[in-house]
Amino acid sequence: MNQLNNHETTARSQFFLREGTRRHFFSNCGLGIGSIALARLLSERGLGATPELILDNPQAPKPPHHPAKAKNVIFMFMAGGPSQLELFEHKPELNRLSGKTIPESYVKGKRFAFMNSSFKDQRTLLGSRRSFTRRGQSGMWVSGLFPHTSTIVDDVTFVRTCVTDVFNHAPAKLFMNTGSAQFGRPSMGAWVTYGIGSEADNLPGFVVLQSGPRGPRGGAVNWASGFLPTTYQGVSLRGNGEPILNLSNPAGVTPERQRSAIDTIRDLNLKRLVATGDQEISTRISAYEMAYKMQSSAPELIDISNESQVTKDLYGIKGDEPSYARNCLLARRLVQRGSRFVQLYHTNWDSHGGPGENLQGDFEKVCHDVDQASAALVKDLKAHGLLDDTLVIWGGEFGRTPMGESRVTTGRNHHIDAFTMWFAGGGVKQGAIVGKTDELGFEAVEDRAHVHDLHATILHLLGLNHLDLTFRFQGRDFRLTDVSGDVIEKMIA
Amino acid sequence: MKRGSKSGLIRGTVLVVTVVCFGPSALGVDYIKDVRPLLEANCFGCHGADEQKAGLRLDSGVAALRGSENGKVIVSGNSDQSLLVKALRGTTEDLPRMPLKRRPLTDVQIETISRWIDEGASYPANEAEILRNAKRSHWAFIAPTPATLPETVNRSWPRNEIDYFVLAKLEENGLTPSPRADRVTLVRRVYLDLIGLPPSIEQVDAFVADKREDAYERLVEELLQSRHYGEKWARHWLDVARYADSNGYSIDGARSIWPYRDWVIQAMNGNMPFDEFSRQQLAGDLYPKATEMQRVATGFHRNTQINQEGGIDKEQFRVDSVVDRVNTTGVVWLGLTIGCAQCHDHKFDPIFQKEYYQMFAFFNNADEPNLELSNRWKTSGTRKAKTMVMKERAKPRETHLFVKGDFTRLGERVWPQTPAVLHPFPEGQNRTRLDLANWLFDRDNPLTARVTVNRLWQRYFGKGLVETENDFGTQGSPPSHPRLLDWLAVEFQQGGWRLKEMHRLLVTSATYRQASNVRSELAEKDPNNLLLGRQSRHRLDAEIIRDVALATSGLLSPKMGGPGVYPLQPGGVMNLGQQRKTWRPSQGEDRYRRGMYTFFWRATPNPSLSVFDAPDAFSSCTRRVRSNTPLQALTLLNDPSFLELAIGLGRRLIADTDESDADRLTRAFRLCVARAPDQGELARLQEFLVDMRESYGRSPAEAAAFVQDTKMKEEEAIELAAWVSLARTVLNLDETISRQ
Repeated sequence: MNQLNNHETTARSQFFLREGTRRHFFSNCGLGIGSIALARLLSERGLGATPELILDNPQAPKPPHHPAKAKNVIFMFMAGGPSQLELFEHKPELNRLSGKTIPESYVKGKRFAFMNSSFKDQRTLLGSRRSFTRRGQSGMWVSGLFPHTSTIVDDVTFVRTCVTDVFNHAPAKLFMNTGSAQFGRPSMGAWVTYGIGSEADNLPGFVVLQSGPRGPRGGAVNWASGFLPTTYQGVSLRGNGEPILNLSNPAGVTPERQRSAIDTIRDLNLKRLVATGDQEISTRISAYEMAYKMQSSAPELIDISNESQVTKDLYGIKGDEPSYARNCLLARRLVQRGSRFVQLYHTNWDSHGGPGENLQGDFEKVCHDVDQASAALVKDLKAHGLLDDTLVIWGGEFGRTPMGESRVTTGRNHHIDAFTMWFAGGGVKQGAIVGKTDELGFEAVEDRAHVHDLHATILHLLGLNHLDLTFRFQGRDFRLTDVSGDVIEKMIA
Repeated sequence: MKRGSKSGLIRGTVLVVTVVCFGPSALGVDYIKDVRPLLEANCFGCHGADEQKAGLRLDSGVAALRGSENGKVIVSGNSDQSLLVKALRGTTEDLPRMPLKRRPLTDVQIETISRWIDEGASYPANEAEILRNAKRSHWAFIAPTPATLPETVNRSWPRNEIDYFVLAKLEENGLTPSPRADRVTLVRRVYLDLIGLPPSIEQVDAFVADKREDAYERLVEELLQSRHYGEKWARHWLDVARYADSNGYSIDGARSIWPYRDWVIQAMNGNMPFDEFSRQQLAGDLYPKATEMQRVATGFHRNTQINQEGGIDKEQFRVDSVVDRVNTTGVVWLGLTIGCAQCHDHKFDPIFQKEYYQMFAFFNNADEPNLELSNRWKTSGTRKAKTMVMKERAKPRETHLFVKGDFTRLGERVWPQTPAVLHPFPEGQNRTRLDLANWLFDRDNPLTARVTVNRLWQRYFGKGLVETENDFGTQGSPPSHPRLLDWLAVEFQQGGWRLKEMHRLLVTSATYRQASNVRSELAEKDPNNLLLGRQSRHRLDAEIIRDVALATSGLLSPKMGGPGVYPLQPGGVMNLGQQRKTWRPSQGEDRYRRGMYTFFWRATPNPSLSVFDAPDAFSSCTRRVRSNTPLQALTLLNDPSFLELAIGLGRRLIADTDESDADRLTRAFRLCVARAPDQGELARLQEFLVDMRESYGRSPAEAAAFVQDTKMKEEEAIELAAWVSLARTVLNLDETISRQ
């Protein structure tokens, strides 16, 4: 065992010393290092010589708790809260009662956004103008606004009874991402990379891509690492231009000059590592190596010129403009390159009614923005043999009320008691429907799927037990599912 | 139990001892020690105070024996007949295996419960009292008493009281302290620790050359008097104060509260006693004839977020900020996670939900105005500066307990009171925030002094004597040196809460002056350095990394205070938030201010700060994470503000034309890390310099682009580019951004 470790360590330290080995460099440490084992030398000083100590990569893959059904996650986050009643929930009774006041029994004791200012006007039921058709073997109702999504129904499990706790955008986004409406908790992607690391050795394990007219509310806290080490936080990658902040070398610094600088830094750091025995220096050395690799791998990632026109057409990518469609393709490329958790944000699904947020043209536009590419991603992953390993998630932070909200035009308010999300690949059922709501679509009558339950299920598919994935902070073992969460067995194939 | 079985498995010889200590002994199973903790860990969630599924409560012996709505679950003397045991084993068809959908108990655990039942299922009649007393006797709830110095074998090493405690522990464990750090390491360490700036070459040389016996003590005095001391230590306080320059949540509008930040700096520099410092921040507005400064100090609790989103319930967010104030006060002054009692009685510490809302009541009566400040705060133009303050309402709000923490579900009415587990609140006194602040500094308070000295300790040694610096409750880690902690706490309290005196004590100890290098016998016996047989080596804080680069480049502005500033940052940062904001880089000296003055947007913080773990200012931060990531490498290598400083350093290096390459390389190295490079390092740097000279010599246009100066003569640009490359490399060294 020990021998094996030493052997491996030797190989790793040779990696560092291979290029331009400088025998004289360590001479006045009294060490006379050539390409000999730095490990042995550290070992002789009693400083430990296991591979992880020598080259500590905090994102190295780790074994899951139980055999995983999914290796990666792509979460298409529909920021603003898409209306399930215009997309997936066909409710003839709601249409019949449209214009009538919602029975008191539904709303008693409930709280809604904007309730102080305008709730009194918000009790009138609003039927959907959209046409619905049953699709696929599950017979899932899908609205005419989603012609492409209609074609992947047989690959998808729809959960119609998602429930969350909070009804304002920023806290609700946090809740969906971190399991808490409080700031400061780690996001799901951070938990997952903390739990099982990442297969990517030249790209971040947790990547975020954004599209739409504005950033998602709350911004970076949605992909923060909270109290977990920052190495697990999501890296926001831009789909064109400079993909990561400070990724490009300054003007006048060629890749060769950058390499030469990093080599010099590495050699001096390595020498300091030997002098002090501080293993943080070895982590820093590998961080610089990863940074250098990302400088070429990230631009390569976002350069989609070698993707075929057929592929681009499948997603509906037009030109070089940043778009949701382009981000969907990048998500596939990221998963291909080993990134563990990819999250796409698209705004704006907020449909209160009024300019930019009406349920007619504005809603049709945002549906059009995402429909084709979301479906294309599932098809493309399947074609590449990646869908079995990749859990694809589609949904927002909450849904919309069955009641109308009168602004300049009639829209729908935020609704937390039942909304629809869909899941594909990665061990979920192909062509299934989970959960049933009442005849107005107000509340779950079967299989209530709380956010904590969804989180427990997602972790379960990744081979993680949500009860065991914990981190001690402020004297308490925290987890993504806080103090509850049950795996939703009905979703699992 | 867990400890017993684990160590028993590993080392057979320990087995006998541990079973006696931790497992049910031959004397019988003890309900309080053996059984209740198992039920607490596995069953209370559904059968406890909050919930009683099937009408069953298991959180007291009397309730457990009473049984559920379907009858008894425990048959005294017969575990096989007891439904509880059957359910835990999963051997009854009437019930699913318990705990439902959770991991089953181990056989050993079920056996413990069975034996307790077989032995008669007895429990003490005064169970509640025993539990309360057990928790009350927790070390941190008992006021510290002056500790006597321990005896040590080695009498020559200790320099002050601290060292006796540390050395005694080391000797107990058969270890010796590390040698004293060399003078160069020590001078850089104490500069960075006390004022957050690196020493200049001249300052290093002066200290090394100072042969007086008390040269180091003199240096410490000088640094404690430096106005930069206030900046360095204010920043630590601003972490716990969750200070930022914007409102947070999604809209994240700008706010003006920098006068509060400047107040903290001034208070630190004036060595304001910590009790007064705290009182003014918690309740400066309640002082009789409160001065402007005292009102500015109340900005502490205005550092909560403000939600500007449309459609929100305003009362909800007002309640949220009061909750934040209660939790922050608990963590900052008491080191307790009292926030855990917001929705239910604290699971581990003797703090009841009702007591949480009694604390809440202290903070529930404030209005939140902006204060227009007098002319002395004016920074430019004619506009008066404003800051955010607290102001007590004439008519107090009614405070109720919120059922399950939900502010729409009002429970019983409560009045201001402090938790019963701590020292009593004086009878017959008013109950305002000011009275609460006075209570915190009562001589009988067991926590505040300990918590505060522990945080000071943590800044100097990487972690606190109590490692869980924000939890001194029963779930926190016990102190590594309890007597030292108490000695320091008493010293702090009785010495009039003076921070500078404590700093002096800490940095002049032999413990502090040790070398930080890992030694093999320590690595083996004490890998986490809990016994303090060496100093710690750690990466500098985000702001200080910038300060080091600024000082090294010669561009650092000495200006103190005023509104936040805007150093260069990469494009594209500000549109990551919901509302796009602009970041127009400051011109003139404001571009080169210390990192702590950088304008802090909560939603879109300056990336070179957050990448190095500057806190997000959403809640109180008592200890920063120290991450080590590729994005940090990209920041130091490529960020425009760091590049600008590398160019500054490059220019500084070539300004003296008489120097040789070796002289300049040595100077660059010494500016960054204080020590001179050895021959190997010098040769490696020289090799890189020559490489860059040749490389830029082949493409002068790239040299000009790199040094951002197109008017220079070609050969000058090439030479400068080589030196800027060198400067950039040295600024990236781990040693430059670390304190050894």
